[in-house]
Amino acid sequence: MLKIENLHVGYGDATALSDVSLHLDKGELACMIGPNGAGKTTLVNAIARLLPIRSGSIAIEGRDVSRLTPQELCDYGVAIIPEGRRLFTSMTVEENLEIGCYRPAARGLKQQSLARIYEMFPVLGERRWQLAGTLSGGQQQMVAIGRALMAQPKLLLIDEPSLGLAPVIIKQVFETISAIHASGVSILLIEQNASKALAVAQRAYVLDCGSIIAQGTPQELRQRSEIDAAYFGAGN
Amino acid sequence: MISATLLGQSVLSGFFAGCLYALLGLGLTLTWRYLKVINLAHFAFVLIAAYLTFQLVGKNGLNPLLVAVILIPVFFLAGVAQQALIEHYKVNEFASIILTFGFAMIAEAGLQWIWSADYQKLEAHYMRGSLQVAGLFLPISDIVMSLVAISLCVMVWAAMRYTWLGKALRASLDNPGIAAAFGVPNRKLSYLVAGASGASTAIGGIFVALLSTLAPSQIFSWLGVVFAAALLGGLGSPIGILAAGILLGVSEHVTMAITAPSWAPVVPFTLLMVILLLWPERI
Repeated sequence: MLKIENLHVGYGDATALSDVSLHLDKGELACMIGPNGAGKTTLVNAIARLLPIRSGSIAIEGRDVSRLTPQELCDYGVAIIPEGRRLFTSMTVEENLEIGCYRPAARGLKQQSLARIYEMFPVLGERRWQLAGTLSGGQQQMVAIGRALMAQPKLLLIDEPSLGLAPVIIKQVFETISAIHASGVSILLIEQNASKALAVAQRAYVLDCGSIIAQGTPQELRQRSEIDAAYFGAGN
Repeated sequence: MISATLLGQSVLSGFFAGCLYALLGLGLTLTWRYLKVINLAHFAFVLIAAYLTFQLVGKNGLNPLLVAVILIPVFFLAGVAQQALIEHYKVNEFASIILTFGFAMIAEAGLQWIWSADYQKLEAHYMRGSLQVAGLFLPISDIVMSLVAISLCVMVWAAMRYTWLGKALRASLDNPGIAAAFGVPNRKLSYLVAGASGASTAIGGIFVALLSTLAPSQIFSWLGVVFAAALLGGLGSPIGILAAGILLGVSEHVTMAITAPSWAPVVPFTLLMVILLLWPERI
């Protein structure tokens, strides 16, 4: 589904990602864990074509997408749930969801998609005319998830979905991610909360200082004590 | 004390003036908010369209509707071309004032060169005459202009709220990167806004030619009051600029009737200052 080879990304003189390679099979849920500042969000933005890359390749279903614009990439069925939600705050809940299906391939399914999302998150249906900026953090995260699902994605990039949310909401968000995965969507999940991420993922990568320092199944990573100590923290 | 008829006539003239402010300011407020371009050349476009109408209708005898069919696409393209220049040189919001002020100066000089600095009036038989209702005169030309201004403002408002393009434009203002990730073509939309704003100057210019006396220096005479209307109405708001334009027009004309015409320009700026002081988050 997604194959990244030797990706380098930088801001000015600073290198944010160096020699990152990863792959994600169709229907798989892979997670990328690592501390703050490791380059996780940079990776998501580079895949979504919101950042230029220096070298390397990003391929989706075998086709190179590393030079496309974000709008062109969108037609490959890639949707993003960005860090910090980044909703269209001065627009209503429903308008935010509608922008999710802006691409022509998804637009025709607008009514079915809206019905599906309001069924998934009834509170959004009740608040469909409310401005997205006035919702609580958890509800905003639901809008961000809904907006991405409106795009009928084949590949979903999820960046730090638990950031700033209460534990009970985090649990709900992860249940939702598992449900989306079960419906057949391939997912790359970026998460600081390693134990939560490893619990739902089939493959895991550890990113630190812009490089991938470990990869494997969640079980394999859990057994490596140095990773356990550095990233999972005591008590997890 | 002034008579009821004079007061009524002043309110009416103010209403018509306000609709013209809205017609001239609609494109300005949209490009200011959505493109971050404070387009002083907007008024130059209006006056160029007015002089072209003066020439084509007054001298060459064309029908104003035919002139509209010619000028609207031409000015749409002119708006797009100006935006392309602004994007190519990455002109920021404040530099756009200087750049477009320069365009306006060049346009003023060009108009003087071609049509002289003298006042000119389009002498044609289109939209002449008035309706008389309850002792008040309603010039046909003002009625038509106001209907066009109101319809355009309402149509733009509805388009912003109910169409894919309008929603995409608002999304790209809120968060251009994420909007792009969902397929919103930010750049094409910005050209569409610039073009629509250009097209609106053609419509405004045709009415200016039909309604009033032309002089190249008029480019700068609308500036103050239309800016005030754009700010008072809330940048980017089509209904806002219509309401604010009418408020300013009526208050100007009533002030003129009660005191003297020379007091009229005091009104919009006093209103603007008071509202900004009491309600600073308006901008």
